[in-house]
Amino acid sequence: MLPATYDCPPTLSDQQILDFCRDGYLVLPGVVPEEINRRTVAFLEEHNGPQPDPILGEEWFTEAVLKNPAAAGAVRSLLGAHFRLPGMMANHRTHCPQPAQKWHRDGGSIYNRRLDYLQVFYYPSDTPEGMGPTEVVPGSHFVRSKSNYMRHYDCIRHGVRTAAPAGSIFLTIYSIWHRRGKSTGEGVRNLLKYNYWRTTPPRRDWLADLAFNFSWIHLSSGRPTFEQFMDGIGAAELFTWLCGLEQEYHFQGGQCWPVSAINRAPYTQEGLPVGLWPHPL
Amino acid sequence: MSRRTCDHPPTLTDSQVLEFCRQGFLMLPGAVPEQINRRAFEYLETDTHYEPTRILDFDWFQDQVICNPTAAGAVRSLLGPGYGLPVLMSNHRRQCPHEGVGGWHVDGGSRWGPQLKDLQVFYYPQDTPVEMGPTEVVPGTHLVPNTQRAMAHYGRIRGSASTAAPAGTIFITCYRIWHRATAAPGSGIRNLLKYCYWRSAPPARDWVREPGFDMARANFSGPAAGFGEQFHECYSAAEMFCWLAGQHPHYQVTGGQSWPLPALRNDLPYGFNPALATV
Amino acid sequence: MSVDKLRVQLQLCLERFRRGELAEADLAQALALAEPSPQQLLYLQAGGSSVDSRVIGMALIAGGEVQEVPADPEQWPYQTVLDAIRAGWRVIKFPELALLVHPDQTIGLGCEFVLEK
Repeated sequence: MLPATYDCPPTLSDQQILDFCRDGYLVLPGVVPEEINRRTVAFLEEHNGPQPDPILGEEWFTEAVLKNPAAAGAVRSLLGAHFRLPGMMANHRTHCPQPAQKWHRDGGSIYNRRLDYLQVFYYPSDTPEGMGPTEVVPGSHFVRSKSNYMRHYDCIRHGVRTAAPAGSIFLTIYSIWHRRGKSTGEGVRNLLKYNYWRTTPPRRDWLADLAFNFSWIHLSSGRPTFEQFMDGIGAAELFTWLCGLEQEYHFQGGQCWPVSAINRAPYTQEGLPVGLWPHPL
Repeated sequence: MSRRTCDHPPTLTDSQVLEFCRQGFLMLPGAVPEQINRRAFEYLETDTHYEPTRILDFDWFQDQVICNPTAAGAVRSLLGPGYGLPVLMSNHRRQCPHEGVGGWHVDGGSRWGPQLKDLQVFYYPQDTPVEMGPTEVVPGTHLVPNTQRAMAHYGRIRGSASTAAPAGTIFITCYRIWHRATAAPGSGIRNLLKYCYWRSAPPARDWVREPGFDMARANFSGPAAGFGEQFHECYSAAEMFCWLAGQHPHYQVTGGQSWPLPALRNDLPYGFNPALATV
Repeated sequence: MSVDKLRVQLQLCLERFRRGELAEADLAQALALAEPSPQQLLYLQAGGSSVDSRVIGMALIAGGEVQEVPADPEQWPYQTVLDAIRAGWRVIKFPELALLVHPDQTIGLGCEFVLEK
C-alpha cells in the first residue's frame, strides 16, 4: 500500500519555477505555525532516533507540515496534482557544537532533466548559523560527482547556508550537493527530511502567466563551476520538461534560448519552444 | 513577434564553402562602404552599451551591414534560404591602449558536430590593425572540441591568425571556433560588433556550383591537422561539407587510406560513397 | 619547517661567521628550524585551468590537521592559484582536463589544483 496522495492549489509562479530549476532549492521561511513547531520538537524528544516515522501518523503534523499550504503549494507547483505524500521520515538530529559534515549528494542521485520527486527539509526550531544549518551549493544538482570523490572539498564559493527561523521548510532537488554546516552553538538541532513523489505527467499548471515573455530571460547564474550558459541550459531543459514540452525543446547551440541578453530586438528568441511563446493578452 | 527572415543569392562556390569547412572562418575585407562605417562608429559613440541592439532599428545598418550584399551572399551560401536575421547586437568595445590578452575560449553554447545551424559574424566599423587588438582565431578549431574551462591556461598557439583588417571588414565564423582578444598598444576606440544569423531551411548544395568540382578528389585537409590524430580534420571537414550539402546520410568513413584522406590516386578513392558523386 | 625562517637563520649564521662571532647556539637554532614538519596540503578548485582563474573552493591541511578556512570567500588567503604560488605553495597536481571536455556535463567542482609546501 502506497502513502496517500494529496492535492492543493499551486502557489509558485513561472519565475519561481525557473529559479528553482536553476538553483535546485527553495526556502520557505517560518511557514509552519509556532505551536506546531513546539509540538514537533516535543515529539522528537520522545522519538529521538534517526527515523521517527511514527510522526507520520500524527494528524496535527500531517496537516500542518506535510500539507502546509505554502509548502504543499510549492510541492504541488513542482510535482503536479495528486502528489504522493511522504512514507518515511528521517531526522538529522545533531547535538551542537559539531564540525561541518563532508559535502555529499545523497545516494540514489541520478542526473536527468526530470523532476519526479522532491527532498524536503523542515526546521522545527530556530536554526541560525551557530546551530549548523544545512549548507547547499546552488546549481549543483547539475554537477556530476560522487560523494567519495567530494570528501576533500571544504569551503565552496557560492555555497548557501539555509539558516532560518523555526517553522521553515526548504525544498530541494534530490541530487543537490549539501552538508550539515559547522555549529558553534549549544543544544539539539533537529532537521526532518522527507520526500514527495509525482504521480501525474508534467504540465504547466502552476501560477502560470500566459503572457510571460520567456525570450532572453536571464536564467544562467554565471557561477564559474559551469561552462558558460550551461546551468541555464540545464534549467531550461528541466523547465521545459515541467511544462510538458520536452519534445519541443532542443538546445541547438549558439546564442539561442535560453542564452540571455539585455538589449534585444522585440522578436521571439531563436530556439524558444512554441509552447512557451507568449499569448497575446 | 516572429523572427524576420531575409534572402539573397548565394555567392560562395563549392571551393569557398569547402574552405569555410576547413578554416571555420571567412574574412570579407572592407565589405561595408566607408560612409556606413563612419555612421556606425558615430552611433556607437552615443550607445556605448555592450549590447547596442538598437542599431538594428536603422535601415542604413540593416541594408549595408546586416544585409550587406557580400556578407549576405556568403551567409546565404552557408545557411541556406530564408535565414533568420540578428535580433541581438553585441559590441566588444575597447578604449585603446589596452594591456593584456584575453583568454582563449569557445563561446558558451557551443555545439560540436558537422551541423552549421548558425553563424557568428563580426564587423569592424573602424580600421583595426594589430595595434588595435583585433580578435585572434585558431583556424580549423571549430573541428576540435574543447571547453572554456579546459582552455583557460593556453598561451600562444601555433597557427593562430589575426583578424586585423580595414574598416568595413566583416568576418564570418563558425560559432565554436577558438578565439581570444589581443593586446592593443595603439590608441583610440576599437568597436567589434558581433551578431548571429540562423538557419531556417534544411541544408542543401544550393550555393554556386563549380562545373569541375569533384567531391571524390577534393582536398579536405586543413589547419586543424596539428591538433589531433592524423587526418582527423579531413574527416571532420568532409562530414561538415556533406552536411551542408544535405548529404550527411551518405557520409561514410571506411578507414585506412579511403576517402576523404588526401592522396594522389589513379582512380576513385575507396570508401567514397557514389551517391555523393551525383549531388 | 619554514624554508624562509631557515634561510634567514642561515644568513645570520653566515654573517656571524664572517665576523668571527658564530656560536653553537646559532647553529642549533638553524637545526631546530630544519626539523621536518607534516606536509601541508592546499586544495584549490578554480573556475578554469589557468593558475590565474578565480578560486571557487578551498581546503587546507596544515600541522597535521584539517584547518578551518574562513566561511567568507573574500577572506580566503588566496583568490587565485597564482596567489598561492606566490606565497610559496608548489603545485603537485594539475586539473584533470579529461573531466572538462564534455560541455554538456559538468563534472566535479571546477578545475582542481593540489599544492603543497
